[in-house]
Amino acid sequence: MDSKFNFVSTSSATDTAEQPTTPVSIGFWQSAGHKFSHDRLSMTCATILIILVLVAIFGPMLSPLNPNQLHVNQQNLAPSQTYWFGTDHLGRDLFTRVCLGVRISLIVALVATLLSMVFGTIYGMLMSYFGGWVDSCLMRLIEIFNSLPSLLVTMIIMTVLGNGIGTMLFALAITSWAGAARQARGLVLQLRDTDYVTAAIMLNTPLWKIMLRHFVPNMMSILILDIGQSIPANIFAEASLSFLGLGIQAPNTSLGILISEGQNQMLQHASQLYIPILVLVVIVLAFNIVGDGLRDALDPKFKA
Amino acid sequence: MLKVILRRLVALIISLFLIASATFFLLAAVPGDALSAQTDKLPTAARKQVYRNTGLDKPVLQRYEITMTNMLHGDFGTSIADPGMTMHTVLKEKLPLSARLGLQQVLFGIPLGLLLGTLAAVYKNTWLDRSVTIVSLLLMSVPSLILALLLQSYFGGTLGWFPIIGWPEGSNLWLGGWSYTVLPTLAGGLGYIARYARLLKNSMLDVLSSDYVLTAKTKGLTGRRVVMNHVVRNAAIPIITSLPVTVAFSITGSVFVESIFVIPGIGQYFVQALTNRDVPIIMGETVLLAALYIVTLFITDLLYMAVDPRIKLYQN
Repeated sequence: MDSKFNFVSTSSATDTAEQPTTPVSIGFWQSAGHKFSHDRLSMTCATILIILVLVAIFGPMLSPLNPNQLHVNQQNLAPSQTYWFGTDHLGRDLFTRVCLGVRISLIVALVATLLSMVFGTIYGMLMSYFGGWVDSCLMRLIEIFNSLPSLLVTMIIMTVLGNGIGTMLFALAITSWAGAARQARGLVLQLRDTDYVTAAIMLNTPLWKIMLRHFVPNMMSILILDIGQSIPANIFAEASLSFLGLGIQAPNTSLGILISEGQNQMLQHASQLYIPILVLVVIVLAFNIVGDGLRDALDPKFKA
Repeated sequence: MLKVILRRLVALIISLFLIASATFFLLAAVPGDALSAQTDKLPTAARKQVYRNTGLDKPVLQRYEITMTNMLHGDFGTSIADPGMTMHTVLKEKLPLSARLGLQQVLFGIPLGLLLGTLAAVYKNTWLDRSVTIVSLLLMSVPSLILALLLQSYFGGTLGWFPIIGWPEGSNLWLGGWSYTVLPTLAGGLGYIARYARLLKNSMLDVLSSDYVLTAKTKGLTGRRVVMNHVVRNAAIPIITSLPVTVAFSITGSVFVESIFVIPGIGQYFVQALTNRDVPIIMGETVLLAALYIVTLFITDLLYMAVDPRIKLYQN
């Protein structure tokens, strides 16, 4: 070492010399995960959601009762040790029915969201990748879909195709893919001219690989936010349509059906209405709060 | 400007044509129609006569042609399931009920929401702000369907303060029968409070932290003048632009609130028409609602440009 330079403080010099002085660089996902896991409210809600999902999957096994079994002399019972949530007007156990309802509602919401996201994203990526007349033709279609009141379209589709889970998924997905398509289009428009995409095209990479390797990872954070917003919206849509009799129908059950059955009993046995409503509100509230937490964690503009 | 309006008008007509056609063929593709349930037990000759009277015996394409030409003249046809009803009578009889409900919800919800939003922004990080935020998040997570059911079962059922179902008609159509309107108004209005409080609070916070407000303050303007001249005008942009959609759709009826409180408005009638496969009414309501929606979106665009000169939507 050059004799002109001296350590100012010899005692600490030996310690710091061994440790790296530059902070460890953490990636985007690590930082987002860190932020999210320190957001206490969001973590609580995420835990509640996980518990609810587990109950929806395994709940019926906890109770020996069959959700579709009629108990003729045990109608409209209040919650008790045997019937945790009571029984309905046909003497069916409400706890297992609520579990089944949550299961169906969650499946519908998740699958419908997934369908519309996957279709919308691929649609948007394709239109903006090809550009030109393809882009403007496909854009017209998006505009038409955006100019339709979505409730109206969903209701007409449900009437036309008949009630059922498959129809419901289709009806919910068809009204919500346009937003995802628009977003994907905007993002790919920026990415299309980047050097690494040009390089990939020059190397004759197949289109699906470019999409999967280069486009999708770049829009992941925005996709997650969209998913977080559209799941609660779909849960509501399913519940409202089933409530009106335009959705899932008996003997299948969902939160919407349970609520509509509860409405018939609300003057005499209000708990049959309040329990499914409470479950629905808790699920949606938890999803909304987790969604807000994710936005804070993922959106670079929201650095609080 | 004229060119813009003309272009939107053409787009409107094309969209409506597509919507009407799609609805028609979708409904025509369903097995069974409005009459099949009623006429199943009739002898063949009588059944044929019933079908001939309504025109449902003609081939699909011919029906399509008739429907579309009539629609051009503003005639959607007579209801099949509910004889004597046309879109004209539907609008005359059902729309006022829905309109009163919608207006009451809007007049109750939006001013209160704006007031709460302003207070929450001005008194940021106080108990007031926090309670407004929490309550509006809660209300946003509870849609009008659930709110309506809860209000109905608690205030109508358990406490018995208000009638559970029904809506003033006849001489009480606009003024009167107030007790019937309280719960439905709350059911929709609370949602507006939450939405507008959140919207205004966020946009006011954006504006309050902007440089021009800082400049205005450092110039020595009084707090009142800063708020009136700078904050309100800029924070109002998202409010003004979201008003048309809210008002238009509150008036045409909230399907869920009308179904729950058995209000014979336009929304409930639409659901009824859907379950009955009543093609003329479904077509009529679909086309009119879609037209209203598209026109409202256009008005929203125009408002954007009027309120905020920085926004130019139509530069070719």
